[in-house]
Amino acid sequence: MENGNNQLNPCAIRIEDLSVRFDGRAVINHVNLEVCQGGPTFLLGRSGSGKTTLLRAINRLNECFPGCETSGRIRLNLGGKWAEVYGPGTPVEMLRRQAGMVFQSPNVLPLSVERNMSLPLRTALGLSADECAQRVEQALREVHLWEEVRDRLAAPATTLSGGQQQRLCLARALALRPEILLLDEPTASLDFKAARQIEDLLAELKSRYTLLVVSHSLSQAHRLAEQVFVLRDGGRVERLAENVFRDKEALLAAMDELV
Amino acid sequence: MTPPTNRLAERLLFCATAVSAVAVLAIFGFLLWFSLPVFHGDAVATLLSWQWRPLRGEFGILPMLAGSLCLSVSAMLLAYPLALGICCFVHGAGPARAARPLVTAVRFMTSVPTVVYGLVSVFLLVPLIRNAFSGSGFSWLAAGLVLAVLVIPTIVLVIDGQFRQVQNGIGLTGIALGLGPIQQLLRLTLPLSARGLGVAAALGFGRAIGDTLIPLMLAGNAARLPHSLLDPMRTLTSHIALVVATDSQSLAYGSLFACGVVLFLVSLLVNLALRGLRAGHD
Repeated sequence: MENGNNQLNPCAIRIEDLSVRFDGRAVINHVNLEVCQGGPTFLLGRSGSGKTTLLRAINRLNECFPGCETSGRIRLNLGGKWAEVYGPGTPVEMLRRQAGMVFQSPNVLPLSVERNMSLPLRTALGLSADECAQRVEQALREVHLWEEVRDRLAAPATTLSGGQQQRLCLARALALRPEILLLDEPTASLDFKAARQIEDLLAELKSRYTLLVVSHSLSQAHRLAEQVFVLRDGGRVERLAENVFRDKEALLAAMDELV
Repeated sequence: MTPPTNRLAERLLFCATAVSAVAVLAIFGFLLWFSLPVFHGDAVATLLSWQWRPLRGEFGILPMLAGSLCLSVSAMLLAYPLALGICCFVHGAGPARAARPLVTAVRFMTSVPTVVYGLVSVFLLVPLIRNAFSGSGFSWLAAGLVLAVLVIPTIVLVIDGQFRQVQNGIGLTGIALGLGPIQQLLRLTLPLSARGLGVAAALGFGRAIGDTLIPLMLAGNAARLPHSLLDPMRTLTSHIALVVATDSQSLAYGSLFACGVVLFLVSLLVNLALRGLRAGHD
């Protein structure tokens, strides 16, 4: 695998021998994976194959569920330094800010648009009101939401459309200045147009962030991916060669064979 | 189109609601009807006085009203912060391992009969207060402490339910944004639980002011205004119980309905006030 990465960017996420068990049942089984910087790197697989679990192993969200056991090693390349995700001294809250996450359905908080953005900034980073306002605007511009919501920052975030809510969630993660974005089927709950907007955003963001995207959509992977992994049942990972996922027919055939 | 089973359920629920509402109104009407004679002319003046001397024809219930308010407010001042603390401990401030046993213990507390609390306190708490301070030990302090223990589970279960609901709604959002458990609790769960916090206060207060056995067994039952925590006092509820148990003929008996009306109104007012506070807050 090391050789295969030569033409790609340097490695951003290195997963070695990762196993995740819930109540003794193995969901991820001895997985090795290297995600290069930028991307987007797509993680494909059937429902229940453990894609979300693999993603959540990277920002340690799995441990919020009782009965979860994780073994193996994950390292993140943050600012040129390798951070041990499961190291004993790793500040998990900091890790979760540096590897931001966007969920399948927009998970806005039942607060105003502005509070959704500023609450983590003020609470987790302790920024002043001025710095906060600056970052909020910057992040909302980054996801092309600023013009749409600048007059309704005080409105409840739930009054935004689904696509706007998802972009708000993306902006909320970006405002924390992460290096890595973990996206768990970010377009699955959106209509065609809103999904396209998110896809366009991913194409823009890949130059500044490492994007790891869990997806069901083969055509999305075909259009956007720089790197594709397939999670097979039984928790094993297969890497698809570029000529496979760039060719629609070959991708379909490969998926039929693998999952 | 609503399926027929839904419509049936809707009607049944409507009936249940209507029956409950009618029952409450009927109780209030009944109380008013029977206390009408005492709310008549001179009788009101005797009723709203500080003297309870039935043999002299003085039926003042103000000491009992003051007693009820003092006792329930002091019990709530003790119980509410404790209950809120327990809920915060269970939802993130304390270790997850301790959370479940703690909630189980609080649930168990709801199933302890009030009389057991009373009896145990008569033999343990009252002598302790008697020895530590002076007097008989049957006092505002004794009743207040035990009443607080009695209402804690009510408050805890309501707040716990609300916290659960709010945290289910938030899901992993706060944590994924890098908030620590305490930050999530203080900045998200608590502020979003305002409604449940108010309901818990109202229910806890209702339970505290409505309880009869604890003040009857522990507060000493002197029908006058307490001047310190160590003074005995009598609440409206224990007053009703005492008079009913000893008398069913005299005019004193009639005044009990007035006590009932006052109790009902206080409870209602506190509920409405909390509702008003919340509406103002929203």
